[in-house]
Amino acid sequence: MDFRFTDEEEAFRKEVRAFLEKELPSDWPGVDPDMYHEDAFDHIHEVSMETQKKFAAKGWLGLTWPKKYGGQEQPLWKQMILEQEVTYRGAPGVDAYQFIGGLGDLLLQFGTEEQKEKYLPMMVRGEIKCATGMSEPNAGSDLANLQLRADLQGDYFILNGQKTWQSAAHRAQLAPVYVRTDPEAYKHRGISIVLVDYRTPGITISPLVMMSGLEAFCEVFYDNVKIPKENLLGELNGGWKVMMAALSHERSYGIMLIMNIRRDLDNLVKYCRETVVNGEPLSNDTKVRNKLADMASQLEVARNMGFKMNYLALTGGDVTQTANQIKVLGGVMTQRVAALGMQIMGLYGQLGPVGGNWRQMDPNKDKWTKLGGRTKHLYLSTVCNTIAAGTTEVARNAIAGGLGLPREPKPAPKK
Amino acid sequence: MDFGLSESQEMLRKIARDFFADKLPKTLVKEVTGTEKGYPADLWKDMAELGWMGLILPEEYGGSEANFADLGILIEEMGRACMPGPFFSTVVLGAPLVLDAGNAAQKKSILPRVARGEIILTVAFAEAQALYDTASYQAEAVKAGDAYVINGTKLFVPDAHVADYIICAAKTGRRATLFLVDARAPGVKSKLLPSLGAERQCEVTFGDVRVSKANILGGLNKAGTYIEKMINQAAAAKCAEMVGGAGQVMEMSVTYAKERVQFGRAIGSQQSIQHHLANMLNDLDECRSVTSRAIWMISEGLPCAREVSVAKCVVNEACRRVAWLGHQIHGAIAFQQDHDMHLYFKQAKVGEVAFGDNGYHGEVIARELGL
Ligand SMILES: Cc1cc2nc3c(=O)[nH]c(=O)nc-3n(C[C@H](O)[C@H](O)[C@H](O)COP(=O)(O)OP(=O)(O)OC[C@H]3O[C@@H](n4cnc5c(N)ncnc54)[C@H](O)[C@@H]3O)c2cc1C
Repeated sequence: MDFRFTDEEEAFRKEVRAFLEKELPSDWPGVDPDMYHEDAFDHIHEVSMETQKKFAAKGWLGLTWPKKYGGQEQPLWKQMILEQEVTYRGAPGVDAYQFIGGLGDLLLQFGTEEQKEKYLPMMVRGEIKCATGMSEPNAGSDLANLQLRADLQGDYFILNGQKTWQSAAHRAQLAPVYVRTDPEAYKHRGISIVLVDYRTPGITISPLVMMSGLEAFCEVFYDNVKIPKENLLGELNGGWKVMMAALSHERSYGIMLIMNIRRDLDNLVKYCRETVVNGEPLSNDTKVRNKLADMASQLEVARNMGFKMNYLALTGGDVTQTANQIKVLGGVMTQRVAALGMQIMGLYGQLGPVGGNWRQMDPNKDKWTKLGGRTKHLYLSTVCNTIAAGTTEVARNAIAGGLGLPREPKPAPKK
Repeated sequence: MDFGLSESQEMLRKIARDFFADKLPKTLVKEVTGTEKGYPADLWKDMAELGWMGLILPEEYGGSEANFADLGILIEEMGRACMPGPFFSTVVLGAPLVLDAGNAAQKKSILPRVARGEIILTVAFAEAQALYDTASYQAEAVKAGDAYVINGTKLFVPDAHVADYIICAAKTGRRATLFLVDARAPGVKSKLLPSLGAERQCEVTFGDVRVSKANILGGLNKAGTYIEKMINQAAAAKCAEMVGGAGQVMEMSVTYAKERVQFGRAIGSQQSIQHHLANMLNDLDECRSVTSRAIWMISEGLPCAREVSVAKCVVNEACRRVAWLGHQIHGAIAFQQDHDMHLYFKQAKVGEVAFGDNGYHGEVIARELGL
């Protein structure tokens, strides 16, 4: 056992920190790993795309990928440290849909040589933005129920149907889209994945407003959309395997949530030190101190679990169970910090602009807004952290499955 | 003991429920939330015609002399309908304060107009440095001949932007006094705060506002007792509103759990969802009974500082949990702004911090325990 980081790891961490310090405005309030701020607001989107280029120039996009696709062939631990630091600082520009268990990894694992050569270098150069097209109105947790049709006609798949809740779709150019290629086969046996260029004719993307007020996910409609047959990712009707890989990548999202919310806890601590109530700083209040201490403990435990998952991944262990645990933990922890913030701030917690980012602060309206309205935004926004990328209930089912418990009886197949 | 409603209360509930089902679809709630005013004017008129503004006012002022428990039923329905607008500030805060503290002339001038739905009242008490402790208020009223001149800033004042009269608690020496202030008087400025839900809260600044001595409410230096009583009643009424909202969340969630099919079966057949719903029901029933008790005690004029604080503490926590679980059961669909669920999620939070959060009410309970 050894709970230290190596000198090499620490040195890289320092390098990333110094880079972020230099490249981001010193009052950068931080965006979340869900990227909703970047996707909702033009000016943050611009900063995000600029920063993406800067990361590319550093060689930090596709850090672990093969050199022949523009990658750096660096060890995985570097990628992990990069993700942690970027997330803690709330830096934009590392698009999770490409680089953190996103399309890049899927291409490396399942893509054809042509696909890899076409897309990976673009990603490494920071030129595109991606999304992911899984959910449909009737295929949320039950993804195998997806109905978006893709019929192979000559050299093209013809897509008809609908996706929904597609984060970033209105900003992205490219997405792996999960489609039904064999309507006769039972549920998961008739699914394939095609790489869709969102600018293809016949695609209509209509953004949905979230309960937090941000416009950052979309409905995507497909009306006779022609996708070249070479855009098939993996085997025809073999999409379920790819999807399982994608979902297991997505679950590592939990650790990002945990790193990110640490920043909010730190800000809350600062707020309590600086806010005087009844002549005393809030930080002198025993109840407040205890609550913050409790939250800090919980977050340390959560982060340690995150490190354990990374350790398992680095040593070739099975991360499935731990990743699910961390997905649950990450979602719940963000909600707990948000709720604690609201509790400590009392009436002031209600105040702030949509998005809660100081860049939207109106000096006229927001005179009494504290912490840039961040806590209010967080309170609304974290509602989805136990839903998006797989619900807590479904993750718990998987954890229970991992314990070897007997499965629930399945309803009989339709056909 | 009797946990039930009287016949007339059942009727009031039904009338209110039907009224809101008919007149206040959620689309309208969301529409008016986006407007400066924040509520539909027609609805206000209709409610006045139903006699709701004067529900608990004496007949001599045009009221129907119902009791506080009846008002509680109405407010629960309003919470269920997520009704925006200045009903609470006028009928629960302002009018009872005038009735309680006002002299004959003040009551005669204000209350019949309230009952007819002609005027909107609100109460400006909280400040940046002190929320409920009137003795610590900084806003000050200084005597100048037959008048007082008020200077200061009040925060989180509900509906001040549409109010006709603002009852302001201002320091007069070591204690505070209530003043009935014309909201359009020179020097009064109301500014909307960027708040959370469908409700409207304002910053109200008083800059050299001259108020005649005749507009003192309840006598010099008497604000403390009246505000304390008002907060106690308002906290209980807020509980009713929150319970109404939580009840609606519960209903929506049960319905959705039966309708939403994933994996070839209704999600409500999954035990994880069933347990969520069972927990929500426990919370809801506890909230409802503890709130009813507190409201009944107010209605009967019994001392109930502790019971109200117990109710508010319980309801604050429980309604928040219910709202979270409502979202959890609905998944992504309710994360969309065009869904209704988030209205209740926000309502629960706004209600939680209004008229005392658990820090405040926990302290009241501790005091009542002799600690
Ligand atoms: C903010 C946000 C962003 C998103 N971004 C994307 C995106 O970019 N791309 C994309 O494809 N999708 C995206 N999604 C969709 C997301 O993947 C789904 O919301 C999620 O899989 C759950 O599906 P659902 O919302 O339909 O809920 P449902 O599946 O209908 O679930 C409703 C409730 O039933 C429970 N439930 C369902 N099945 C079971 C079961 N077997 N056992 C126990 N409980 C069960 C759930 O846990 C939940 O509580 C996003 C969602 C949100 C909220």
